[in-house]
Amino acid sequence: MSNDFYNTSILPFAGIIIKLCRAYTNSQEDFEDYYQEVCLQIWRSKENFRDESEWSTWVYRISLNVCLTLLKKKKNNTQHFVSDVLPAEETEDNCAFSDESLNLLYAAIRKLSEIDRAVIMLYLEEKSQQEIADIIGTNPNNIGVRVQRIKMKLKKILDGKID
Amino acid sequence: MEKSIENIWKEGFLKNDDLTAPKINNLYNQKSIHIIDKFRRMFRINLISIVAGAFIFLIVSWFLHIPVMVAMFFVTLMVLVFINKSLLNELEKIDKGQNSYQYLKDFSQWIKKQIAINQRIATFMYPVFFMSFILGLWFNNAKDVYLGERLVKEILHVFPETYLVFGVPLIGIVIAGLIMAVLAWYGGRIYLWDLNIIYGSVLKKLDELLIDLESLRS
Repeated sequence: MSNDFYNTSILPFAGIIIKLCRAYTNSQEDFEDYYQEVCLQIWRSKENFRDESEWSTWVYRISLNVCLTLLKKKKNNTQHFVSDVLPAEETEDNCAFSDESLNLLYAAIRKLSEIDRAVIMLYLEEKSQQEIADIIGTNPNNIGVRVQRIKMKLKKILDGKID
Repeated sequence: MEKSIENIWKEGFLKNDDLTAPKINNLYNQKSIHIIDKFRRMFRINLISIVAGAFIFLIVSWFLHIPVMVAMFFVTLMVLVFINKSLLNELEKIDKGQNSYQYLKDFSQWIKKQIAINQRIATFMYPVFFMSFILGLWFNNAKDVYLGERLVKEILHVFPETYLVFGVPLIGIVIAGLIMAVLAWYGGRIYLWDLNIIYGSVLKKLDELLIDLESLRS
């Protein structure tokens, strides 16, 4: 990958990638692997980009799709799919961010299902229901209800009612 | 007052230090850990190994006087390679930039098609291999007489009443037919069992993701 492409087309959107990758990983090592893989796949897929959508939306799609279908190495070297990983307690990196509340929120988000994580991340990034539906490929009418359910679930997790 | 998750999110990311990208080194040359790339690598290595092995075996067979056996092996393996190469081409067309549902659906459909086709191939491949082995032995030319013909002569010498069909003992045809039927029956199952050990969790997870997404679509 040329440095130019990384600096001009990926780095300005690194925030999006970082936020998403953090939601699907439990440790710094995994996070860096996911980040690198997302960048690699953006670069490899760049020819498929059509001007029908914003570059940032497209980066979201690639990042999310890659996070949903990554193989990660377990300690015994066997490979597992997506976040079919070690139990959170074993590897959880609770100090990824300087803000303690944000770390707690991320820990709660990681307890959600993969699709719920995607929905709430896009919602928190202030994407409209239509945009969320377009990125995930669902019906926009159902997004609002799902967001409310996820928020309630997150609140319960943060209140310590769900482990 | 308790902060909403929206506020935690906004205030948490006010300091941009937390969003500093990690250093990436020599990214392009790194081995991808993505599942599609992994499948692609695995497929490519398998296909190259099969082609290389088939050619080596074909050459060796000439010196071992079993060219008929290996020629059939060779043709079967080449059909397998050809079919899987076209499957590999389809895998490379999956667009990671489409929406998650379509992307996962395309990938899931590719895996299912790949499994169904290879399962069907396995059902006839093992019997064909067995038949190649038997025919190869039968037409093994030693002392200017086929091994099969010598064997039939020996059998007729001991059991003169043996019933022959086109010069082959009927009992032999029945036994070979039964073995081929068993191999056909278990071929596809062995393939599925093998696949389940390696990719069982992947397939299960894909199905779960799609079920969740479909609930959001309905």
